Amino acid sequence: MQRVAEISLTESNVDSVESLAYRARRHVVAMAGRGGCFIGSAFSCIDIIACLYCDVMRIDPQRLNAPERDYFLLSKGHAVPALYAVLVERGFFGRRRLDHHLQPSDDIYLHPNRNIPGIEFHSGSLGHALAVGIGIALDIKLRKKSNRVFVLLGDGELNEGSVWESIMVARAQQLDNLIAIVDRNRRQANLPTESLVPLEPLSDKFAAFGWSVRECDGHDFKSLRTAFHPAPARSNAPNAIIAHTARGRGIASIQDRANGWFMKLDEGQRLEFLAELDQSWETAR
Amino acid sequence: MEVIARPHAKNLVRWAKDRPEVLVLSADLTSSCEANDFRDAYPERFFSLGLAEQNMMGFAAGLAREGFIPLVHTFAVFICRRAFDQVAMSIGYSNLKVRLLGFLPGITTPGGATHQAIDDVGLMRLIPNMNILECADATEVESVLDVAQALEGPVYMRMLRGDVPRLFPQDEPMRFNRARVISEGYDLTLLSSGICTEEALRVTCALRQRDIHINHLHISTLKPFSDPNVLNALKAARKGVVTLENHNVIGGLGSAVAELMAEAGIRGPLVRLGIKDQYAHGASRPYLMRKFGLDAAALLEAVSGLLGRGVRIRTEDLPQDLPGVSSKASIKAEDL
Repeated sequence: MQRVAEISLTESNVDSVESLAYRARRHVVAMAGRGGCFIGSAFSCIDIIACLYCDVMRIDPQRLNAPERDYFLLSKGHAVPALYAVLVERGFFGRRRLDHHLQPSDDIYLHPNRNIPGIEFHSGSLGHALAVGIGIALDIKLRKKSNRVFVLLGDGELNEGSVWESIMVARAQQLDNLIAIVDRNRRQANLPTESLVPLEPLSDKFAAFGWSVRECDGHDFKSLRTAFHPAPARSNAPNAIIAHTARGRGIASIQDRANGWFMKLDEGQRLEFLAELDQSWETAR
Repeated sequence: MEVIARPHAKNLVRWAKDRPEVLVLSADLTSSCEANDFRDAYPERFFSLGLAEQNMMGFAAGLAREGFIPLVHTFAVFICRRAFDQVAMSIGYSNLKVRLLGFLPGITTPGGATHQAIDDVGLMRLIPNMNILECADATEVESVLDVAQALEGPVYMRMLRGDVPRLFPQDEPMRFNRARVISEGYDLTLLSSGICTEEALRVTCALRQRDIHINHLHISTLKPFSDPNVLNALKAARKGVVTLENHNVIGGLGSAVAELMAEAGIRGPLVRLGIKDQYAHGASRPYLMRKFGLDAAALLEAVSGLLGRGVRIRTEDLPQDLPGVSSKASIKAEDL
């Protein structure tokens, strides 16, 4: 069982998660070419998910139900291509299975379901998974275990009242083993979050509800790791990490664009997107 | 057959033009529910309330109480599942003139169980005062708001969007609590609703050529369910009744027909075609219609079974010249 959360960060580690995230983005582009997917949403949270699965969570792809594992719940289910891609890169299932994207013969489709190895809970209807995470986190507390529960939420998803019920109850139950990550890409469907139902000051909101809050750059692995390490940060308080991100990050031509939400790529676009990814990867190196 | 692009989007703008009391509410699915043309035409009458459906239902009730007519636009699952209590208590109990437009009925979306409303008709039928209408084609999409407008209480509408075929003549609009007689006959009675009627048409068309006459009624008012023509058609069925719906067989059209038959003492077999009390999954519409038995092939099998002799029509013999959305369904951004 890896206990990567406890190891010190090394340069080689940084390289590996970055290259993993780059390869994962290539998988997502392939899925967008196989019938389409929510590529913009996937690319705003893919670095967060890569960081969790490489550097933060205790996981073992060979032992999916390992009792000591950390849990990850993707509450913004439409971003699931990012999760499929990272699970493949971490060895939860074979890369070839991604070729079945949207084929009726497999369960690799637009929202996560438990037929995919490594997916702990289905999602797709927003505002559900934080509550599920609380249930799991409470069970862990009752069993006096040290597993942690990571729940990734969209910022638009915070419109749903059910999320705020969970935020209050998590504090009431003192679930310091719960880590909610907000993918703060500042967009929901086709609108900026702040022009629809403003969320700011978001950190203050979580803090006012008794949570321990950190902010980070959701595309900078050093910043992400600092935010995650070590969690829990404060005893008895649930943890919120507001990760500042950009929709479509990694492909300059769609980054932060309103219409870069769901995209179905033709062959030409797919190749262009891959070229753009390669270019930003080369530049970053 | 004609296919109309986004019939609701255009009709809504036309219909609401001289009705200043009509407001449109959206839960951040504005273009996904074809309300964007209305938003652009009458921005002062459009309210996007974020993805917060429970709040939207109470908000609509408050507006209706003050005399507005709110047209609530979101996906069917989010009206009926997420906000059920608010719909039942703030809208149904108070019998307010709120119009609930539920998009993506049944398996019309590839988004999987979270997005597929296979239970919406059943849930809405349970709410006293609620009226339920379902659209099957562009003509019904273009006339459903008129039908709703004449009703004083709340109305839930199963809507279609995107490319919608026109099955019925434009001058034969949807009528409240009145089934459309598609074909007459005494061998069997078939009741279909929503997108399944297009499938049923393919079958009845082929059967007629073989001199098998089916009494086929298209149902667009699911509640109330008291059209005397429906009762007569159920009584007249010599060899049985078939229902075909894009919904769980529990709670929808099949249940309504079963209740009516039982109460009227009508004997004879009833075959309910629809989703058999299970969750569907993500896949294309034609695939799901085949897998869950909502298509022409499933209907053909049911009809053969009831007639008790080989109908001798193979699925390949069914007419393909009813080019509706089912034959060309592909995933688009607005499908999600």
